[in-house]
Amino acid sequence: MDIVGTFGPIFARPDLWAGTLRFAAPLTLAALGGVISERSGVVNIAMEGMMLVGAFFSVVVAAATHDIVLATLASVVCGGLIAAIHGVASIHLRANQIVSGMAINLLALGLTSFLMFRFFATNGTPANIPALPDVKIPVVDGIPFVGDVVGDQNIVVWLSILAVPIVWWFLFRTRLGLRIRAVGEHPRAADTLGISVFGIRYLCVILSGLLSGLGGAYLALSVAHSFSNNMTSGAGFIALAAMIFGKWNPIGAFLACLLFGFGQSLGINLQGTGFPDQLVSATPYLLTVVALAGFVGRAVPPAADGVPYEVGE
Amino acid sequence: MTAFATADLGPSRARTDAPYLEMRGITKSFGTLLANDNVDLGVLDREIHAVVGENGAGKTTLMNILYGLIRPDAGEIRIDGQAVRIHGPRDAIAAGIGMVHQHFQLVPVMTVAENVVLGQEPGGIMLDRGASVREVRELSERFGLIVDPTARVGMLPVGLQQRVELLKILFRGSRLLVFDEPTAVLTPQETDELFEILRGLVAGGKTVILITHKLNEVMAISDRVTVLRQGRNAAVLETARTSPSEIARAMVGREVLLRVDRDAAHIGEERLRLEHVTADSDRKLPALTGVDLSVRSGEIVGIAGVSGNGQLELAEVLAGLRPVTDGHVYLGGEDVRHQNAAERRANGLAYIPEDRHARGLVLPFDVKDNLILGSQSRAPFATRGQRNSAAVEQRAENLIQQFDIRPPNPDAVASSLSGGNQQKVVVARELAESPKVLVAAEPTRGLDVGATEFIHRELIQKRDEGLAILLISSELDEIFSLSDAIAVIYQGRIVEVIPSAEADRERVGLLMAGGSVETAIPSADRIAQAAAEQATRDAASGAAPREGGT
Amino acid sequence: MSVATAQIQVPPSRVMRYLASGVTPVLAVVLAIIVGGLVVLASGSNPVVAYQQMLVGAVGTPFDISETLISSIPLILAGYAVSFAFRCGLFNIGAEGQLYMGAIASTWVATTFSSWPGLALILICMVAAMVAGGAWAGIAGLLKARTGAHEVITTMMLSYVAIDVSHWLLEAGPMTPSNAFGTPESGPIPPQAAFPIILPSSILPNARLNASLFVTILAGVAFAWILWRTPLGYEIRAVGFNAKAAAYGGINVARRLIIAMVLAGAFAGLAGMVPVWVSGRLYDSFSPGYGYEAIAVALVGKNSAIGIFLAGLLYGAMIHGSVAMQANANISGFLVQILQALVLFFVGAEMLVRWILKKGGLRRVLEVAG
Repeated sequence: MDIVGTFGPIFARPDLWAGTLRFAAPLTLAALGGVISERSGVVNIAMEGMMLVGAFFSVVVAAATHDIVLATLASVVCGGLIAAIHGVASIHLRANQIVSGMAINLLALGLTSFLMFRFFATNGTPANIPALPDVKIPVVDGIPFVGDVVGDQNIVVWLSILAVPIVWWFLFRTRLGLRIRAVGEHPRAADTLGISVFGIRYLCVILSGLLSGLGGAYLALSVAHSFSNNMTSGAGFIALAAMIFGKWNPIGAFLACLLFGFGQSLGINLQGTGFPDQLVSATPYLLTVVALAGFVGRAVPPAADGVPYEVGE
Repeated sequence: MTAFATADLGPSRARTDAPYLEMRGITKSFGTLLANDNVDLGVLDREIHAVVGENGAGKTTLMNILYGLIRPDAGEIRIDGQAVRIHGPRDAIAAGIGMVHQHFQLVPVMTVAENVVLGQEPGGIMLDRGASVREVRELSERFGLIVDPTARVGMLPVGLQQRVELLKILFRGSRLLVFDEPTAVLTPQETDELFEILRGLVAGGKTVILITHKLNEVMAISDRVTVLRQGRNAAVLETARTSPSEIARAMVGREVLLRVDRDAAHIGEERLRLEHVTADSDRKLPALTGVDLSVRSGEIVGIAGVSGNGQLELAEVLAGLRPVTDGHVYLGGEDVRHQNAAERRANGLAYIPEDRHARGLVLPFDVKDNLILGSQSRAPFATRGQRNSAAVEQRAENLIQQFDIRPPNPDAVASSLSGGNQQKVVVARELAESPKVLVAAEPTRGLDVGATEFIHRELIQKRDEGLAILLISSELDEIFSLSDAIAVIYQGRIVEVIPSAEADRERVGLLMAGGSVETAIPSADRIAQAAAEQATRDAASGAAPREGGT
Repeated sequence: MSVATAQIQVPPSRVMRYLASGVTPVLAVVLAIIVGGLVVLASGSNPVVAYQQMLVGAVGTPFDISETLISSIPLILAGYAVSFAFRCGLFNIGAEGQLYMGAIASTWVATTFSSWPGLALILICMVAAMVAGGAWAGIAGLLKARTGAHEVITTMMLSYVAIDVSHWLLEAGPMTPSNAFGTPESGPIPPQAAFPIILPSSILPNARLNASLFVTILAGVAFAWILWRTPLGYEIRAVGFNAKAAAYGGINVARRLIIAMVLAGAFAGLAGMVPVWVSGRLYDSFSPGYGYEAIAVALVGKNSAIGIFLAGLLYGAMIHGSVAMQANANISGFLVQILQALVLFFVGAEMLVRWILKKGGLRRVLEVAG
């Protein structure tokens, strides 16, 4: 296997790098959502389900109204609703948050596939639904290579990149962010100071749903221009892996998403070269296991992550 | 101890007879457990009021109701004559109540300043970090409670952590300060310091409620005492006119032996020896340094010290759960350094761990399964890889009878037993295999007097039968009551070993604190002044103590 | 606890406790059926017809019953895989990957040693499946024991790796058949190694139900026996409830964690082998998500051998019945997924179910169940 011969030209392809950004965008949104949720102490493995629901309803509304804004709004709201269910189960009903998350994923998969069959039978979703716009950057567009990579990316790609410093600032520089982190580390301490643990957790879980829903809308409206059963196919779990790999830090999660996006893009670009692309697509998962095993330093979640809070001694 | 000046420092609030805080008819049940049964509490303005009772008497529940963490089923609360509705900590804070909990409510990864301002942070949307640090520093200097606002709380020693808790409530301008078992983690000297602080606060216009089960502290610091027993009022006493035995009698309802009788020890051969044992804590910091100890058959060696000075690591080293980085452990003359927990058990070491819920019992297992923990794979409980149910059953019945475990049902789930009976299960199990050495860590923590007496008697009896016992306890009374020799541990070192006949509390207490007194003792006058000024400011601006909440 | 605690008059016997603990999952299933029906209704279809078709499809004819059993077997085995780990306090979300590894290993053995006599071949294939599944799960167990890496994430990630590996093996790797047209698949399982069909065609023509049913029952017996009648099982359960106390009792927690995962993976390996044997060869993406559905099966079955068997049967019935439901009533078979999700949700949200029981005056049931 001629490594340099195979990989050399692939690395020179701008599409590899543009693809990295494209793949990373939905991952980033979902991962940021995960960070917010888990920083407040609610384990959220339901990002996959929230993305899927967002994707489905964005297409449904887009097909019905042909209004891209409404469609995007619908996806965001639906993601938030699903997240709220997870919130009720985890926060009020004190269910095991992993079980609840898995149930949501399963429910999202079943529900979207069920409704897909019901409304679109076996024909698939209509072809002429609106898409989220691309953003052409005037001068940059013309630059060779760089222009091909960043000059014409979808607006959601830029939104996802923008979201990173915003989320960082939110968590680490605002008063609310301090309270969120306190609730995630030591909810009783926050409670005894008059902070509403439940309120903060609900807020954060719903925020994560909004972000994941947007990620789903991107996948459906801008990438696939359609919806198909289980179209997220694990993106939510990669985002989860990125969150852990990034040690529950927005910037770390973003970098991890770029890495995983690169992996996916590489896999696509390797197809047809004879190099086992299935193994390449397994690398994000392997990397996460390596991270958890402590080879990249310990990945320590917020102290109260996953522990339902009971008021009173 | 310095005398403090009761100079006229603020708006003079004459002490009236009407209580500042009144809790009337407080009732609260948890399922079938009636934790508070029509309890009344009256606390006068600017007094130090102690609330005492055994574990399970309802004092923590009562205080949690006061602070809004729990809602009562019935009853009312009045502050300064006004009825107040406290539905949550936010209301309590607004009503001027501040609470320092028994287990500190501090976020370890955050700084002192962040912990203090949390919930009432300076700034708009953005957190004003500079102001936070500044304000906390000012506050700590004003009250003489010096602590670095930028330090990570998790890195601070326990005494300083308590200062942070104190700063939290002072930051909110609380007038009624509730302390839940504050001296559990302090040396006698630090306790004296705390009491100075309390006196200063009261002189400056605050009112203090102290929850404790330590009678000598009640006598030392409080003005009046409310005694709770089994969820009900048992007595309200004036400290100056009562005695520890009267309070104890009210707590328990009968005469209480404050000391256990014991004969002189019949000491035999050495059973356990530690030579220059050195070990690290979980955080890779040194926990034990050059520990030398010897325990002989027929004697009880008590390790006195404030929690957190290496006792836990010492127990784990002995049990075989923590590796030693240097030194040797000899069990019956044999070097057991490389033996694991199971092997040491087989060699005659028994261990009553510090926290029966976390370490001593498998709560969802039934009593009979808990009674064979540690021996489950040995004969007669298992033969050829299969469990021998009849043998397990037999053992359970023997031990239940011998130790009077209630309810006498081997199939009862361990979590359904009372604390005392749970501890009996642990003790029964450990003594059942006729060990040669017993390590007992905090064996009566959280138990009522009856269970405590039982366990003390049991330990003395086994010691008379020749068992070598190493007792680790943060309760100085227990150490003095049971030990034949007292070894003081401080920062991972055995500072001194004193035969109990020659030991006195003053000396031991000093050794527990490292033989010297800590830096920067706050002065009562300083605190009184600061508190009074705060009260003046609050009164002048007409403001209630600062609002909390999201 | 204060002396003010009231005493329960008669301590409930073990049998009573066992039966009472079955109430919450049953109620969860009932609730799921109700809510699922609402979903069907909201989408414009008739829930009564849907459930009726599902029921008929599942158990209407003897043939259907045998097919339902076939659908149930991998779920039950995978359910044991999830549950055994659960008993040690480990959340084995990655049973799917472990069963893939079992499928791959057993298929490889079968196709490589295809000339061996039947009994020997099938036995070593089973061993291969259990070893492969066990080893795969063991990795996560080892990581947890040595580094504390959370098994939820490691097993899930390893699961994806296993699935990707299987794709590669069948699409571009050594197990790709030489005529690679259509769905990637392995070579056939040698006929002598197949599980014998247990119902002769005179009674039930075309039945596919084979001896793997007995293997499953044996697995259930092994599951219960190991956990309840051996000191190993005691130690595993002790670690699962309170690892610290177990350590203080002299139990080697790390070793128990690893063994629990390995044994769990062994069950999963078998779960992967059975569907391959039923189809006659290993197909790409052969599992419709057995490993994930097994999580629900384990929880609904309350981690007990019999409970999981029953829960597996229920799920198998739903799955097989949904085929008929989709064909005859034109209601998407994905309703099953929705039902499964709802059951999982309601079992997880046990508090909700308890609340409903309390309101329904069944407080005593709760007390007995503990």
